[in-house]
Amino acid sequence: MKRLLRSKTVMLVYVSAVVVAVFFIMNHNYLSGDNIRGIMNNMSLSGTLGVGMAFLLMGGGIDLAAGAEGCFGAVLVALLMKTGMPWPVAMLLGLMYGAAAGALNAFLINGLNFMGFIATIAMSSVYNGFALVLTNNQNVAISNQAFWRVGSYALFGVFPMAFVILIGLIAVYGFILAKTRFGRCILLCGGNRMAARLAGVSPKKVTTILYMNCGALATLAGSVLAARMHNASPTAVATGALDAITAAVLGGVSFMGGGGSIGGLLIGLILLNTFNNGLIVVQLPSYWQIVSQGALLIIALCVDFFNERAKALALKSSSAKRAV
Amino acid sequence: MERCLEFKGIEKAFPGVRALQDINFRVKGGRVLALLGENGAGKSTLLKIMSGDLRADAGTITLNGREMNFSSPNDAIRAGISVIYQERQLVPAMSVAENIFPGIPPRGALGLVAGKQLKRQAQELIDKFGLSIDPAAPVGTLSVAYQQMVEIMKAYRRDSDVIAFDEPTAPLTDAEIAILFDLIRRLKEAGKIILYVSHRLSEIFQVTDEIVVLKDGRLVAEMKTSETGEQELIRAMVGRDIGDTYAGLNRNDKIGEVLLEVSHLETDVLRDVSFTLRRGEIVGFAGLVGAGRTEVARAIFGADPVSSGEIKIEGKPVRFKTPKDAIDAGVALCPEDRKEQGLVLFRSVRDNVTMPILAKVKRGLFLDNHAEDEITIDAVKRYAIKTPTVDKIVMELSGGNQQKVILGRWTSSKMTTKILILDEPTKGIDVGTKAEVYQMVCDFAGQGIGVIFISSELTEVVNISDTIVVMHGGRVTGQMTRQEATEEKVLALAMLD
Repeated sequence: MKRLLRSKTVMLVYVSAVVVAVFFIMNHNYLSGDNIRGIMNNMSLSGTLGVGMAFLLMGGGIDLAAGAEGCFGAVLVALLMKTGMPWPVAMLLGLMYGAAAGALNAFLINGLNFMGFIATIAMSSVYNGFALVLTNNQNVAISNQAFWRVGSYALFGVFPMAFVILIGLIAVYGFILAKTRFGRCILLCGGNRMAARLAGVSPKKVTTILYMNCGALATLAGSVLAARMHNASPTAVATGALDAITAAVLGGVSFMGGGGSIGGLLIGLILLNTFNNGLIVVQLPSYWQIVSQGALLIIALCVDFFNERAKALALKSSSAKRAV
Repeated sequence: MERCLEFKGIEKAFPGVRALQDINFRVKGGRVLALLGENGAGKSTLLKIMSGDLRADAGTITLNGREMNFSSPNDAIRAGISVIYQERQLVPAMSVAENIFPGIPPRGALGLVAGKQLKRQAQELIDKFGLSIDPAAPVGTLSVAYQQMVEIMKAYRRDSDVIAFDEPTAPLTDAEIAILFDLIRRLKEAGKIILYVSHRLSEIFQVTDEIVVLKDGRLVAEMKTSETGEQELIRAMVGRDIGDTYAGLNRNDKIGEVLLEVSHLETDVLRDVSFTLRRGEIVGFAGLVGAGRTEVARAIFGADPVSSGEIKIEGKPVRFKTPKDAIDAGVALCPEDRKEQGLVLFRSVRDNVTMPILAKVKRGLFLDNHAEDEITIDAVKRYAIKTPTVDKIVMELSGGNQQKVILGRWTSSKMTTKILILDEPTKGIDVGTKAEVYQMVCDFAGQGIGVIFISSELTEVVNISDTIVVMHGGRVTGQMTRQEATEEKVLALAMLD
């Protein structure tokens, strides 16, 4: 099983390399410094959302509202700064809003027993609408120059701040998943919620934290983007949830919960973003890009489906063996 | 021609169990045959083979002299065999008429479904059975009993030769049962072959003509209903040699003070359940499936809400809100369904063993993997769990070894289990491993743990437990010591009407 997973990760690295090679051959600018920085910036956006989403998926949840939560959060942070509030305070309040939005999702799902899909699709519409109402569908300009630095600062003059944040998140969350009690509990709850509960783990507590985390990271992703753009758009990351799910599932995070790793997520992110950026570089018409991105998620889901089916078959053959 | 259904040499094996062995009997048209037996005796398996759900490993079923060979339930229905299960197979949103004529509604001009004609034909059938049902009413609005009637009419309309009932009276009231029996008599007069599966002895004497008793997958008795009595039937159902398995057990005879005291416990299923468990004692819970035994376990364990009553552990009243609270207080539960409720199948042996003690194997912020491995290796050694490493995915272990992983979880050195609840611990386990499990249960008691042992296998409960609590319909119907208990007594209490 482990070998299988490892070989799958290795295969994904090959696939990413082939994607990069193909786009590079089609347009040599693909690997220019500017374009790589662009890839890193985009990857930070889907990655910051993706960390929250991947954890949620591993724990057996899903948040289709993550993108809308992020947009609304960014708008909120921008409006708060407009009142003259220092950016760290505005940011902190924004993160608290994100966590609260996640807690509300968790309440709908854990408390009222709604299906995650339905509850979060509905909430997605709510946040989307709120963001439009607050802004009248106009971008909120940000004049706080200190906050701009969050978007424009580059470590060693090369790595954008957003990317540094993503790498930091991946390191910390990787440790949480692999080394801590909470990380183990995520995988146990996602693997079998009922069994985990009967063995003393609290699935409601675990998933509530994961939803709050996802909401907060969505706001972080939206705000960092706003800092880079010098304005907050009510629709900038509206499809963020889709990208985040695609990256996670591409990287081997089980859509059914209970499996996945941070390393896998990272490769999923690289694959997703090199692919999406490549489409732009080879000047595929933008509507076709949308089609391709959806198709990529379908491919990722197919791979996940066949994995789950292999698991189910293994389950059958193992009980058949016992019959002999 | 007179109808006749015959079973010849039916055999069926499942992993670890021979569910049916050499079953031979026949039923003629116009007769009602009772299929009787304990839980797991093979009644349902036999029905499933007859209805095309399962395939027999050997043997044949012949209907009216023709050998039947089904590869799906649809084949069986086409051949004239209808089985009416407890779970209705109706579409609640569709009308009575549409449910009676599914798929093949009468067609009018232009090939459209002729609504009026459909309704008329359904009404004719309803009148024939002397019922008062509106053929246009959605099935979902009918009572459970009437839904069953619709199902019977559906079977009748198909012109089935054989109609089998699986525990049909379980959800019905007395008045509804009377209607059902009347219906069965009509079917009988129409010359149909009727199979009737039920635990309720009194009913068997009311409606059946012949009785076949199954026990551990074998046919142990065949008789005419008019020539037998309840006592004889009970004896036939339980009568078997009690092997040396139990005589060889190293039992615990040091039973201590009261550990758990449950009084007047009520939940949405349980009514006034009271019993006590002492240190080192094994209290067995006997009863039929659905008697409420699992619910008692779950209520004590904090898995289901308790509506009233008192639970005391070592004299202190407790009311656990979550299983975690119960575990912290020293209560452990091995659930009935290992795969669904006991294990996280795609995680390792270690992850499954250390689930409840993760808070105790931390070094600073991080989990101490070394300590986890040690605890797991200890469990693997103590229970001789057959696994190459502690990293092996639990799904890849056999049923018996999976059960041992759960036992290892609750008895590791970091746990202080005082009360161990085992819900059907020997289900799906082969005979050899069963004996091992029995000795383990006795050993737990020997360590001063109070054990609650829930089992649907009468012989097992009666021979393992120090005290046997019998349940029926959410209530305790009797309690006795091992010395007092006989399988006949327990079964009589478990089947109490």
